[in-house]
Amino acid sequence: MIGASAYIAWCSAKNRVRVRLRRLREPRYLIGAIVGVAYFYLTIFARGRRPGVRVNGRGGGPPALPPQFALGAAAIGGLGALALSLLMWLGTAKSGLLDFSEAEREMLFSAPVSRRQLLVHRIIRSQFGSLFASVLIALFATPVTGSGRIRLAIGVWIVLLTARIYYAAVSLSRARLQSRAASTRLLARLPLAFLLVALLVVVTSIVREFRDVVVAGPGDVFVHLTRVASAGMPRVVLWPFAAVARAPFAGASADVVSGLLPALLVLAVVTAWLLASSDAVDAVAGQGGGPQEKIEKRAAKVPQAARSVGWTLPLHGRPELALFWKGATEMVRGTSANALRIAIPLLVVIVGMTSAMMGASGMRQPAGVVSLVCGLLAGVSILFGPQMMRTDLRTDLQHLELLKTWPMRAAEVIRGEMAWPVAFVSLFASAAIVTSALFSGTALPNQPFVDRWSLAIAVIVAGPALVSAQFAVHNMTAILFPGWVQLGSQRTRGIDAMGQRLIMLAAVLVSLIAFSLPGAIAGGVIWLALHRLIGNVVLVPAAVAFSVIVLVEVLLVTELLGPAYEKIDVTSIERPE
Amino acid sequence: MPIAVSHFTRTYGSFLAVDDLSIEVGAGEIVGLIGPNGAGKTTTLRALAGILLPTSGQITVDGHDLASDAIAAKKRLAFMPDEPHLFEYLTVEEHLRLTARLYAVPDFEPRAKALIEELELAGKEKSLPGELSRGMRQKVVIACGLVRDASVLLFDEPLTGLDPIGIRKMRQTIVARGRGGAAILVSSHLLHLVEEICTRVVIMDRGKKVADGTVAELASRAEAAAGSNLEQIFLKVTGRE
Repeated sequence: MIGASAYIAWCSAKNRVRVRLRRLREPRYLIGAIVGVAYFYLTIFARGRRPGVRVNGRGGGPPALPPQFALGAAAIGGLGALALSLLMWLGTAKSGLLDFSEAEREMLFSAPVSRRQLLVHRIIRSQFGSLFASVLIALFATPVTGSGRIRLAIGVWIVLLTARIYYAAVSLSRARLQSRAASTRLLARLPLAFLLVALLVVVTSIVREFRDVVVAGPGDVFVHLTRVASAGMPRVVLWPFAAVARAPFAGASADVVSGLLPALLVLAVVTAWLLASSDAVDAVAGQGGGPQEKIEKRAAKVPQAARSVGWTLPLHGRPELALFWKGATEMVRGTSANALRIAIPLLVVIVGMTSAMMGASGMRQPAGVVSLVCGLLAGVSILFGPQMMRTDLRTDLQHLELLKTWPMRAAEVIRGEMAWPVAFVSLFASAAIVTSALFSGTALPNQPFVDRWSLAIAVIVAGPALVSAQFAVHNMTAILFPGWVQLGSQRTRGIDAMGQRLIMLAAVLVSLIAFSLPGAIAGGVIWLALHRLIGNVVLVPAAVAFSVIVLVEVLLVTELLGPAYEKIDVTSIERPE
Repeated sequence: MPIAVSHFTRTYGSFLAVDDLSIEVGAGEIVGLIGPNGAGKTTTLRALAGILLPTSGQITVDGHDLASDAIAAKKRLAFMPDEPHLFEYLTVEEHLRLTARLYAVPDFEPRAKALIEELELAGKEKSLPGELSRGMRQKVVIACGLVRDASVLLFDEPLTGLDPIGIRKMRQTIVARGRGGAAILVSSHLLHLVEEICTRVVIMDRGKKVADGTVAELASRAEAAAGSNLEQIFLKVTGRE
């Protein structure tokens, strides 16, 4: 099976490269490749020749950290790895290693190979991705040159591989916890029990350490955490986590092999755990049949009816609103309870960070924390929301065959696809701004009420325009370069894909500036004319002028994109395997 | 003429998929479009549905040019592809409702109810596509096509994934729509189906139309033996005998 897996991996990689090379005949892909190569050259190979840039000598390895700091970094890395392992148990998303492609399901599950061999096959197939990522990281690591890059790449590769295999083993163990066989359940509980014991030991020690001390700042926190993680029982239980976290820096030590040995040992144990859990592959991979059929039936909770969204689409009205309804329905149903498992810890981290920032700036009141968190959330959602929320043409290009049969003008389709994500991001940001403004009185007592609320209203008015402009730019790039758009979870790789992403990023930024400039000029003129008369209240009319101009531009762009949308060739869209 | 294709040519890069195709389908006609794999059938149907633009030539639906008057043309046609493209998070009922809204179907509720019964989708109205079998998803696509009064129906392998009862019902549905006055173009490799339900057959090979007529006319032109079925005629016409 190993030979067959290697054959599949080799042929797939070879043919992928061949397809990539063939598509360079198209100018846009060729330009993408040139930009990608140029970026690589300028950021990696030409970097050392620039004046003022100093790199290690020939064969310089990963940065050699001062002994005290290295010890602390490894300990903190171990703590991070422990936290990551816990998150893996909390999440319920399927491991990528167990995400068999349609072809693998059709051809390999019916082949006379064991599930353990299938796992080995998946590990082999995943190596290209892990190796590619490791090499990239090593290439971009600034102070590393020559053979040091190889050593760093090996270390990073071990970390990625261990994390990938660990997550797959966690997925299988979760399924095995549902088993009716007591012995299977017991074995599945062992790694979880180890993790919980480690967590208990570490948390207890951290609480003890921080109970009687006054923390002066982040540096102090680092010192105390290092002290906890590098001594006594926490050191013992964190050893496997720290061993893996240390792997990328092993090249800095005198003996690379002995530096990597602990991480390789952990990798071997995790791999053995994964292979020993192979009887749950069917349950997790969703194949059914075989000895795990019962487990799968119990584990798979397919809803018998879709969740009600409480909004029935009226049979009459503008077609854009039908797509607005579609987007809302898809988002409500697509957001599972699992998302909360990620969102809640994320919120905790944000609140923690904000509290630290507030503490540093002297604003200790809870109201200040709320105000700043909400302000940050609003800013992040306005600036990054359109990038993250892809429930527009970037997703629906995979349904282009259906969309193009609908009796709608192209501009209506584009606006309809954008409508829901624009509304959602704008409403979310506005709610965050209002909350921030409500608590801003306590947080910033020295700022006048009028100033604070003028700013809040201005952001609420200008935010949707800025969000619309960004969605317009993203949809414009999807229409003009459909071959470059990543559909769903698909991720194109390769030098030309990297070049494409760089071009797209630059295009989005330039287009956004071009979109905003006329509105910003109009807003600026209003500011200059009225600021002396009405003070900071001028922010509101300036924002209104900005919004009106940007929204008109968005409307015009959606109309202008019509002919390009009509010309999109369904065959130009790259679909995943 | 509900469907009029005139000198339609479509290329993919340097590959010529359809070469100077001209066909017409009248009201009440059920025309079978058959040919070997890669003959250009799906490209033709996709162009007729407005998904692909012709490289050259003209396609009109009920007199409306698909290039210059696309919305009016698309309002009159329903395309049922071989691969069911459904939205992951919309239920069966919501797919029908969305279609009804986009095509401004006047009496949606009774139509949807009748179609759900006709296509044996009862009890699946609240199901998401992921919960349905391939055959059921195919039926949803067909239901979306039939929920409106389209004067032109385009079927690409309509029986894929259907069970024997579904196949029988689908045959009856297509024939009933044809009798109701719709112009129907059916692409299928099931030659006995085409022979049974189609009033006329168009055979394509390597992007070109190589034969067009009733089964009897094709047999006569191909100098096939008396009593030859469509399969024998097809093999003779395409030179694969």
